[in-house]
Amino acid sequence: MYRYATRVARPILRNVAARSYATDATPAAGKLLLNFALPHESILKNVEATQVNLSSTEGDMGILADHVPTVAQLKPGVIEIFSSSDKPRKVFASGGFAIINPDSTLNINAVEAFPVEDIDFDAARRAADDATRRTTSAPTEQERLAAKIELEVYEAILATASK
Amino acid sequence: MLAVRSLPRVASAATGQPAISFGVQTRNMATLKEISVRLKSVSNIAKITKSMKMIASTKVTKAQRVMETARVYGNSATALYQHTGTSTNEESGKPLVVVVSSDRGLCGGIHSSLSKTTRKYLSAHPEAALAILGQKAKAQLQRDSRQQIVVTFDSVAKNLPTWTEAALIADEILKTGIEFETANIIYNKFKSVIAFDTVIVPVHSYKALLESPKLSAYEVEDPVLKNYEEFTLANTVFWGIAEGNASEMAAKRTAMENATKNAGEMIQKLTLTYNRSRQATITNELIDIITGAMAV
Repeated sequence: MYRYATRVARPILRNVAARSYATDATPAAGKLLLNFALPHESILKNVEATQVNLSSTEGDMGILADHVPTVAQLKPGVIEIFSSSDKPRKVFASGGFAIINPDSTLNINAVEAFPVEDIDFDAARRAADDATRRTTSAPTEQERLAAKIELEVYEAILATASK
Repeated sequence: MLAVRSLPRVASAATGQPAISFGVQTRNMATLKEISVRLKSVSNIAKITKSMKMIASTKVTKAQRVMETARVYGNSATALYQHTGTSTNEESGKPLVVVVSSDRGLCGGIHSSLSKTTRKYLSAHPEAALAILGQKAKAQLQRDSRQQIVVTFDSVAKNLPTWTEAALIADEILKTGIEFETANIIYNKFKSVIAFDTVIVPVHSYKALLESPKLSAYEVEDPVLKNYEEFTLANTVFWGIAEGNASEMAAKRTAMENATKNAGEMIQKLTLTYNRSRQATITNELIDIITGAMAV
């Protein structure tokens, strides 16, 4: 499902990139420089990538070099990083911001992120059940909302497992 | 010479007792008992400052590690400002000042440097609102800027700074409902283990961001920008806490090292005086005995 969305998104986004290339007088960097930081860890710093796929609040995006500058808020979901030298990396991020700058640098600031292969899906399933229960049984409105957000994250984790 | 002059002052500050003059040539020499009591208390202080220095040294390395990653995070979070050329619009709204200090003292001029920078900023912007992290800056600033303080936080970063804590603080600041054009985070930037710089880092409101000259190049929706403002506030507060914590620990280490050194010098001086006066007493007693014996 997610794969399909990005596959559809890719050619479209490539067009967008090409268009911005023509209208914007930015110097062609030709490559995408990626900074991926967490508050307590910097995962990637000035790493060259060929493509980065991520899911934002406005939909899934595939980012190539010379992408149109964008400020995007991340949804809980997988960030896929493709580079020519390394094998593709898949990292699950809970939320944050991705900013694509005119000089083809992509800054991803997430609150928490883990490699997909490190995730224990059984634990996620249990936590999701617990969160589901709390969305209705929690005493205050605020706690119910917090449980809903939690559930959203767990569901996104489980969605990555089913692929 | 310099050390001798500074010794009594340090002693009275450290023990709270009136300084005893222990110049070698003085006639009214302190009694042996007084000197030995003094010697004991100074060596106890030396022990305490030495262990405090040890604790601070281990904390410096930890705090520095947290600070390095926080700096990468903060820089990448605020890179947008440079790209869009966002600047502060001085007239349009009142600024918010967030002072990042802590609760602990005994760390040199860390906190007073923050208060000094804040006072300077406040004198230029008398309408600014104040949010203060940590008791030290609060105690120093509430004397003359009590009306401007909107919210204060105690016991910030008791252990290592965490993003969650910073996010909660940012949330509380936003909950007070102050409208600000720019939030200026004032904190001590860690330069090296012996130096820090007090800096002011702005967090622009989304309104200021919308007005920035080069934002039109970006594809962005309004609610995302509002969220970005809140996220950046939390990030920058976290960055400030992390840098401040590292500078504080480094300064504490230096301060405690100096205190230990001073106490050591003092112990040396006191031991010398103690031995001299002990000998003088013995000589005096001997003279008494001999003159007594000769008189018989």
